[in-house]
Amino acid sequence: MTQTSAPTIATRNIGAASRKKKRDAAIYYLMGLPAALLFSIFYFVPFIANLRYSLTRWDRITDPEFVGMKNFVNLLTNDDLFFKVLGNNLRFTFLVVLFQTVFSLFFAILLVRNTKFNILLRTLYFFPTILSSVSVGMIWLYIYDPNYGALNLFFNRVGLEAFALNWLGSETSALYAIAFTQVWFHTGQMIVIYIAGLQQIPQELYEAAEMDGATRWQQFKNVTWPMSIPTTVVVMAYTTIQSFRAFDLIFSMTQGGPNNASSIFAVMIYQTVFNELRIGYAAAQSIFFVLVLVLITLLQRKVLGSGKER
Amino acid sequence: MNAKAFKALIAMAFAISATVVPISQSFAAGESLGKSCPTEGVMTGTKTTSLICVKGSNGKQTWQRVKLSAGGGRPVASLTPPKGEIEFWHYRPEVLDQKALVEIIANFEARYPGTKIKQVVKDTTTFNATARVQILNNPKAALFATSRGFVFDTFAKSDMMVDLSSQRYVKQNAIAKAMFAGVYEGKQLGVPYQYLFNNPIVNTDLWAKEKWTTPKNLTGWVAWCKDAKAKGYIPFAWPGATLGQAAQISNSALMNSASSYAELEKNLLDLNSGKTDLTTSWFKGVASIYVKLRDAGCFPENPTGVTQNAAYTMFATEKSPLLPIGTFAMGDIVALNKKLDGKMQLMSMILTDGPVVAEGIMNNTYILSVNKNSSSRDQKIANAFISYLMTGPVGQIYANTSLQHVNVLDVEYTNVNLLTTSSFQAKNTMLAPRFLLVNGSVSDLTQQALIAIVGGKSPDDVLPDFSKQIKQKLAA
Amino acid sequence: MIYRSTRIFALTLFAILIIAPSFIVTVGSFKTTSEVYTKPLSLPENWTLDNYRYLFEVSNVARPFVNSTVVTLSSVIITLILASMCAYAISRMITVTGKILFILFTVGLAIPGQVNIVPIFILFNDFNLTNKLSGLVLINVVTTLPISIFILTAFFKELPKEMFEVSQVDGASPWRTYRSIALPLSRPALGATSIFLFVITWNELLFPLLLITDSEKRTLPLTLLSFRGEFFSNDSMIFTALMVASIPMVLMYLFMQKSFISGLTAGAVKG
Repeated sequence: MTQTSAPTIATRNIGAASRKKKRDAAIYYLMGLPAALLFSIFYFVPFIANLRYSLTRWDRITDPEFVGMKNFVNLLTNDDLFFKVLGNNLRFTFLVVLFQTVFSLFFAILLVRNTKFNILLRTLYFFPTILSSVSVGMIWLYIYDPNYGALNLFFNRVGLEAFALNWLGSETSALYAIAFTQVWFHTGQMIVIYIAGLQQIPQELYEAAEMDGATRWQQFKNVTWPMSIPTTVVVMAYTTIQSFRAFDLIFSMTQGGPNNASSIFAVMIYQTVFNELRIGYAAAQSIFFVLVLVLITLLQRKVLGSGKER
Repeated sequence: MNAKAFKALIAMAFAISATVVPISQSFAAGESLGKSCPTEGVMTGTKTTSLICVKGSNGKQTWQRVKLSAGGGRPVASLTPPKGEIEFWHYRPEVLDQKALVEIIANFEARYPGTKIKQVVKDTTTFNATARVQILNNPKAALFATSRGFVFDTFAKSDMMVDLSSQRYVKQNAIAKAMFAGVYEGKQLGVPYQYLFNNPIVNTDLWAKEKWTTPKNLTGWVAWCKDAKAKGYIPFAWPGATLGQAAQISNSALMNSASSYAELEKNLLDLNSGKTDLTTSWFKGVASIYVKLRDAGCFPENPTGVTQNAAYTMFATEKSPLLPIGTFAMGDIVALNKKLDGKMQLMSMILTDGPVVAEGIMNNTYILSVNKNSSSRDQKIANAFISYLMTGPVGQIYANTSLQHVNVLDVEYTNVNLLTTSSFQAKNTMLAPRFLLVNGSVSDLTQQALIAIVGGKSPDDVLPDFSKQIKQKLAA
Repeated sequence: MIYRSTRIFALTLFAILIIAPSFIVTVGSFKTTSEVYTKPLSLPENWTLDNYRYLFEVSNVARPFVNSTVVTLSSVIITLILASMCAYAISRMITVTGKILFILFTVGLAIPGQVNIVPIFILFNDFNLTNKLSGLVLINVVTTLPISIFILTAFFKELPKEMFEVSQVDGASPWRTYRSIALPLSRPALGATSIFLFVITWNELLFPLLLITDSEKRTLPLTLLSFRGEFFSNDSMIFTALMVASIPMVLMYLFMQKSFISGLTAGAVKG
């Protein structure tokens, strides 16, 4: 009896198992559906719509006019502002990523041990991150004031008048001044990320290096740096995306001025929509924005690898 | 004669005497009806009883009844609104404006129970960027205000404003010459309510203390700047970092840059359409004015970094004797330093050594319009409220509370700052020319070019560069 | 020796760079505007609460406060619910669908929602979603889904397989497993993610700027920005507004430092 029933139970179990698998798959599907649906409708559909708008000339008052590739051609051949902003954005992102990474790694190394003092400082340095960028922008707008701001007051008082520049009013310094503010804003956050990464480096490696007579610098070069590359990948990727969100900061400080010296993609697109009423053109600019982002992401991947190899 | 008829007779007598004999008008000596007057065109005020100096057909100049309104005759009473609620969209969140409007709306709602008006206020930048589309999609926004120039023009193009040309209050209650700012393609699409003077304001105490007199021409201004700077002042409290405010002084620079208003208008319209650029000899002339003023030390240190707040502070703390902004700054200045209440005066800034076309600048803005897409009932409410605002007593509340002049006849200015500056209404003023650049990009880039020049750049570098930028913006 | 002194120097310099601006602003909120400009670095002559009084009485700062709170809480809760369900599904799915979903959201991570301001602006206007707090919540959820799903998927993937095998044998549905096993375990990750989302959403400027023009519906950052309207000059008020806008964050930060720090760096560090 058992010999004939065992295969039946087995087949029934297999049948039941595959039915359950199908049911499970359906439930997983349903669980992921709301998020996926929402995201598709409000992210990807607009994305495609953007492509459509970029082929038109439209001011939202009159009807849209189909112009084909004219916007793109114009952007590439007859628009100095576009290249200026592209250059600004690349320079801004590069500087912010470079300095924020270097500084946060530097301070992380200084504060890697979990002493009370170190933790206190980490908490202090982290503080700006929780403020809104509008707040940070207003604070630094005030500090950078060339005649009344704390920065120039300080320089003048200690005899360094040559350093008391027209920070946000001069085309040469505006972008860099804002970049400094951005680094000030988020370095504390990156310090914490680095510390978590550094604390995972086994002590034995350092001990071995010390026994070999390595100096601090050599220890850094041979142990710390290689072992923190995965963290560096994360820090750089995060900082890059963050630097493109500097729209908030720039908007509250200089609105992209003077003479678009501090304008980045998001600022330019915003102004094209609201100050110039050129929807189609702004859509074309957005497409280039996407291309630049993709390029930068790919570039970072290539230079640093995905960080998982080590 | 029965009591009713007697009362009517007294009223009529009173009315007649009121028109013939000015009651509450304080004229300077010699300014009375029929007497001869020195300067043609000068007015004694904006009352229906005011006088204007007119050259008669016999060549003699005498004071005549001024006909300020388009229709002549007395201002009309306000219209009665139907019951309902509408939204009033505008761009003046400033404290004093709000104080005035809140009071006026409360009075209006109390007088007409069942009619409500809800304010929807945004700051200028946000309003200019987003309000038009919002209002287009919102029929409840039956009443809205726009600023002269780019914004009014854009709204007008959208065909969203009711033609008010036939309204009686338009013809009888307003100063006719101030109504042009609300005309589009021959139709009165809005009523400009504010009467602004975008001239520099000066600290009368400081000027008296230093025994300065109003410079009469460009050479005079250059000399004054040098003197003020030598005495340790910042001559012009000029906010180079805030474009809208940095641009105010350009009105004074433009005002006498051409030999007539017609020529100036043509130059600006050509610039706006792209027919000419910033390298014309006319504009080079305008740029050279800025160069002269810059080299004389008129502007603050690091001028392109001076924000509006910093500039106001310079003026309010008396570091600077002159604020090249306009009457609408007075309220904020008094808030910063009560000492300056009543100590501010408008000053002509004639920036040419040649013939003078105008002495000062005025602007008519805050143009009130009725939404064409609103229901007929809501439109009636909006129209009634405008007519209410256009009556003397209400205009008075607005003017004296918000510290601004209004385009309404028979307003009694009681605030000391408005009184000291209202004499400017009698001067030979020109409608602010820079708003003729209705294309936003052209206007902004032109101003940025001038700001860059103040910052130290040479016009030879700046003008061709910005001309190219304008060209690219117009081409796209 | 060089290391020691460099360390102290660098740490002090950075500390000053953080403390000085904070001090200036805090103290500035108690000054009058002219003092803010003429004596920025010193203590106020007369500590005045006028600015604070004005802010609460006349400017009605309570309204934006309420708006920010409503929008932020709603956005965070909805995002957490949707993201954790989706992340769980992705981490457990064996079919290709799971991978596709993940790639979908990775794209959203690499290319931030900013690139869509033009179509979103038009879309929201056409569907009358502007000037509605619900519209803000919607776009906030959409823009924060990628990072949330990223963090939570990583977390769920690291849960030991044994736990799930137990419930598999029991014949429990994925939903059951999710609710009774995965969710309780993921409290720390959810907590960290929620703080992360809270800060980002509370401080968000771009989309409110785009979509909200009714002063009644403004969030705090927008209100701050409006204090610097073209014809309004009052820096000491700006500092006061700034202080008030930042206080909830600052207080929460001071009392929950550890959670904040781990929350805002979540997903960046594995294990």
